Amino acid sequence: MILTKKDVPNFLDSLKNNYQVFAPVKQDHYTEFKEIENGADAVLDYSNTKTPPKKILFPQSEKLYCYKVEENGVQMEEKADEQQKVIFGIRPCDAKSFTILDKVFDNNKYQDPYYLNRRKNTILVGIGCNAPESTCFCTSLGGGPFDTTGLDLLLVDIGDCYLVEVISEKGKNMLTSCKEAGEEDKKKASQVKENATLTTSINIEGIKEKLDNNFYNEIWDYISEKCIGCGSCTFSCPTCHCFDIVDETADSGGCRIRNWDSCMFPLFTLHGSGHNPRPSNKERFRNRIMHKFNYFVETNDITACVGCGRCIKNCPVNMDIREILEEIQGLEARSVS
Amino acid sequence: MQSITTAVQNSAKKLLEENKVDVVIGFKKGTIPLRSTPVFIRDSNDADKLEWNYYCENNLANYLRNKDQKIGVVVKGCDSRSIVALMKENQLTRDNLYLIGVPCSGMIDRKKVNRIIGDKEILETNCNEDSLIIKTKDSEQTIKLNEVMHNSCLKCNHKNPVIYDEMVAEPVSENSNTDFSEIKEFEEKPAEERKNFFIEELSKCIRCYACRNSCPMCYCQECFVDSTNPEWIGKSAENVQDNLFFQAVRVFHLAGRCVDCGACERACPMDINLGLLTRKLYKDTTEMFNTEAGANLEDAPALSTYNMDDPQPFLLKE
Amino acid sequence: MNNPYLPIPMKLIKNFRETDDKLVNSFTLEFINEEDKKNFTYTPGQFAELSVFGKGESPFGIASSPTEPGILKFSVAKVGKVTTSLHLTEEGTTLGVRGPLGNSFPIEKLKGKNIVLISGGFAFTTLRSLATYILNENNRGDFGNLTIIYGARTPGLLLYKEELAEWDKRSDIDLHKTIDKPAEGWDGKVGFVPQVTEEVAPSPENTYAIVCGPPIMIKFTMPALEKLGFKSDQIIMSLENRMKCGIGMCGRCNVGSKYVCKDGPVFTRAQLLEMPNEY
Repeated sequence: MILTKKDVPNFLDSLKNNYQVFAPVKQDHYTEFKEIENGADAVLDYSNTKTPPKKILFPQSEKLYCYKVEENGVQMEEKADEQQKVIFGIRPCDAKSFTILDKVFDNNKYQDPYYLNRRKNTILVGIGCNAPESTCFCTSLGGGPFDTTGLDLLLVDIGDCYLVEVISEKGKNMLTSCKEAGEEDKKKASQVKENATLTTSINIEGIKEKLDNNFYNEIWDYISEKCIGCGSCTFSCPTCHCFDIVDETADSGGCRIRNWDSCMFPLFTLHGSGHNPRPSNKERFRNRIMHKFNYFVETNDITACVGCGRCIKNCPVNMDIREILEEIQGLEARSVS
Repeated sequence: MQSITTAVQNSAKKLLEENKVDVVIGFKKGTIPLRSTPVFIRDSNDADKLEWNYYCENNLANYLRNKDQKIGVVVKGCDSRSIVALMKENQLTRDNLYLIGVPCSGMIDRKKVNRIIGDKEILETNCNEDSLIIKTKDSEQTIKLNEVMHNSCLKCNHKNPVIYDEMVAEPVSENSNTDFSEIKEFEEKPAEERKNFFIEELSKCIRCYACRNSCPMCYCQECFVDSTNPEWIGKSAENVQDNLFFQAVRVFHLAGRCVDCGACERACPMDINLGLLTRKLYKDTTEMFNTEAGANLEDAPALSTYNMDDPQPFLLKE
Repeated sequence: MNNPYLPIPMKLIKNFRETDDKLVNSFTLEFINEEDKKNFTYTPGQFAELSVFGKGESPFGIASSPTEPGILKFSVAKVGKVTTSLHLTEEGTTLGVRGPLGNSFPIEKLKGKNIVLISGGFAFTTLRSLATYILNENNRGDFGNLTIIYGARTPGLLLYKEELAEWDKRSDIDLHKTIDKPAEGWDGKVGFVPQVTEEVAPSPENTYAIVCGPPIMIKFTMPALEKLGFKSDQIIMSLENRMKCGIGMCGRCNVGSKYVCKDGPVFTRAQLLEMPNEY
C-alpha cells in the first residue's frame, strides 16, 4: 500500500473520528509523543522522541481508582480507559518495547488491567528509520530499523510517499483508501532499507552468564562512580516500568494514583526499619543493568533493552550503557564469591 | 585547549605517581559529540585519558563529599566556588583536596546548538578559537561560540578558580561587572506572563531529579520532595503546580549557597530553563547581602549569618 | 479482567496494643461482604496489602489463620505514614484489603514433619498464623512435634502474650520464650534466640525449621541451625523487602530475578543462598 506524504495530515484527521491519535510533535528543539489536535502537527521526519511513547499506555501518573469514604463504608470507582488509540509514527524500537512491557504487565500470575486494556485498544503504526542515529543499537538486541515486532503497520519513507507494510489485520482495516504499491515503490523501499545501517553495535552474546558470574565483581564500584543517581535514564527508557502507588486526597474522598518510580532512587527500596538492601548508587546501578540483561532474560527470555539510545543521550554525566556492557563483556569468567 | 589538556594530564600523573592523592577526578572524552564525561583516575598511566575542552560542563564538586580518600580534582571557576561553599558548610576538608585549577573559557550548551541546527543528529564537531563547526549527515555549519555558550558561562565573573593548589594555565580575563540584565528584564514582565512562562517550562518536567542530584549543594539526607511524613508535595510529574513548587523550594533552599554554576539546568534531560530561577535568587542574595556565594573563603554564607543592617525587604512594616 | 489493585472493604473490629513500647498494634478485620469472605482463601505465610483510605496501602503478613474464619488479623509496627495512621484508626472504620498475595509456607511439604518455629520481635506474625493452623484440632494430627522458640528484648515486647500463655499450658507444643536480659517475674528463658536454639537443640531429623526475625537474628541463627545438622533445604525463611504493588510489577522488591511479593516471600535457605544478598 502507498500513503502519500501530503495525504498524511488528512489521514490522521480522519483517524481522529474513531481514535485518540498520538504522534511525535515538536517541543522545544526535540519531539515528543502527544495526542494531536491536527493531523498537520505530526512530525514524522524526526530522530527519536525525547521520552518514549510508553507513557501513552503506561502514563507517568495515572488514577487507578477513586474512593469516597462514607459513614458505612467506602465507595470505589475504577478508572478505566477504554478509548481506542493509534500511535502513529512510532519507531520500531519503541514498538518492540511494548512487547517487552506486555510481559511485565501480564506475568504468570497477575494481569494489570490498566496497561493491558490500553494495549488491546491501541494500534501501532510504525515508521522505519532511514537514518539510524549514532546512539542507536537496536540491531544488537534483535531489532532493526525496519523491524516489525509489535507493529500493526510499518511506513517506509520512500521520498514523496510511504510504502505501507501491513503487519496485522487491525492495521489493514485502517487503510481503506490507499492504493497498492507498484514495483517501483517496492524497489525504492528495499533500497532505503539496505542503506539504513547502524554505526554502533554491541555484543550481548553471553552477557547474561557474565552477569551471573560477576555480581560481586569490583567493576560495579567503578562503573557506577560517576552516576549521580537521578532518574533520567529510567524515565527515558521504553522498557523501564517501575512504579509507586500513592494516595492523593481531598475532603472525604481521594484517589489511588500510580506514578513512575525509578530503581535509581534510594527511597525505592528503603525499608521502614531504615535498612536499605540497595544502599548506594553501586547496588542500584548494578540492579538496573542486571534487571535488563539478566533477571528479565531469566524470567521472560528476552532482554529488557531495545537499543533506542535515549539513556545515553539524556544522561547528565554521559553514562553510556554500550560502554558498560562492553566492560562487562571484557570480564573474565569468575565464580560467585 | 590542547595545552590545558596536557597540563592537566601532567599534573594528575605527577600527583598519582608521588602518591599525593588517591584519585584524580577530571574529564575524559565523552561517547557522543559535544560531551565530555567525568572520570576517576587512580593509575598514573591512565592520566592521559584526561582532557579539557568546551564540553566539561559538569560541576565536579558534586563528587567530593563523604569520601575518605585524598582527592585531586580538576576545577574551573564554578567548581572551586562550590567547594568553597561546601567547606563553609563543613562538608569538605580542604586538606583532603588537591585542586588542579583551570581557567575556564565557558562551556558549550548542547541545547542551544540543537536549537540552531534543529532536530538533526550531530555527527562531528570541531572547535577553534571562537567558533564551533557542526557536521550533520548532510550539512556543515559554523556557529560563533558565544551563541552557544551556557547562559551561566556568558554571565560568569569567576572564570578562574577562586582557590586552587596549582593553576595549569594563565588566568583568563574576567567579566568586569555582574550582568543581571536578563533577570531584570524578566522581572519587568507582568506576573501573569511570568507565571505562564514557568508553567510552560515545568510542564516538561519528568521529576527525574537530575537537577537536584547534579547540584553539589543539594545534599540533604532526605530531600523535602521525598518526605512522606509529612508529605510536602505531590509526587506526580503531571501536576505542573507541584513541579513548580518543587523548583521554587529547591531554589529557595539554595539561596545564598548557589554559585550559579548552571549544573541543574545542564543536567535537565528535558531542557527546562532552570537558570532563570537560580539566577534570580543569586541576584537577590548577591545584591541584598553584598556577597557572592563561594567567591572567597572569608565571607560568611549570606543566610547563615546576621547583621543588624541586613536588608529585610520581606517585612511588611519596619 | 480481574483488577488486582482493587481492595475489598473490611471493617476494623479490634485495634489492640501488643507491645509496651507502644509501637506494635494488632488489627482484627471483619469481612463486610459475604462474597469476599467466601473468596478470600489463604494459607499461612501469605500477606495482604492493607489500605487506610486517604493515606495509602502497605503490605503485611497475615497473622490470623485460615482456621479462624470471617476475620483477618495483622500485627503492625508503627514506622511510616500508613502504619502511623493505621495505629490511630478507630474500631468500626472501613479499611481496604488486597490479597492474599505471595506464596505461603509449604503446608503440604510440612505435613508429617516435625516443625520448629524460630522468631524474634514482631516478625512472629505469619508464624502465629502457621502455629495456629497446626494447632487446630482438625490439623494437629497432620504434623509431628511443634517446637516454638520466640524471643524479644523484654517481656513487654512479645506479641500475643495471652495466646503464648495458653500455648504454654498445652502438652502438644514445646514453647520456649526468651528475653535478652533477666526481668522480674519472667518465667521463660534468658538469652538471644540463636543461643536458645542451640540450647533447645531440636533434632533435624524429619524436621523443618521456619525462621522469621530481624536480620541480625537470622544471621546468627543460621550457623546455630547448621551446627545442629539442619540442611539448607530444611530451613524456611520469609523475606521482607519494601513492596508496593504486591503482584510482581512495580519492581522494587526483587532479590535477583525473584520478586519477594510474587515469587516469595517464603524461600528456603537453599534458594536464598543462590540469590544475591539484596534483602
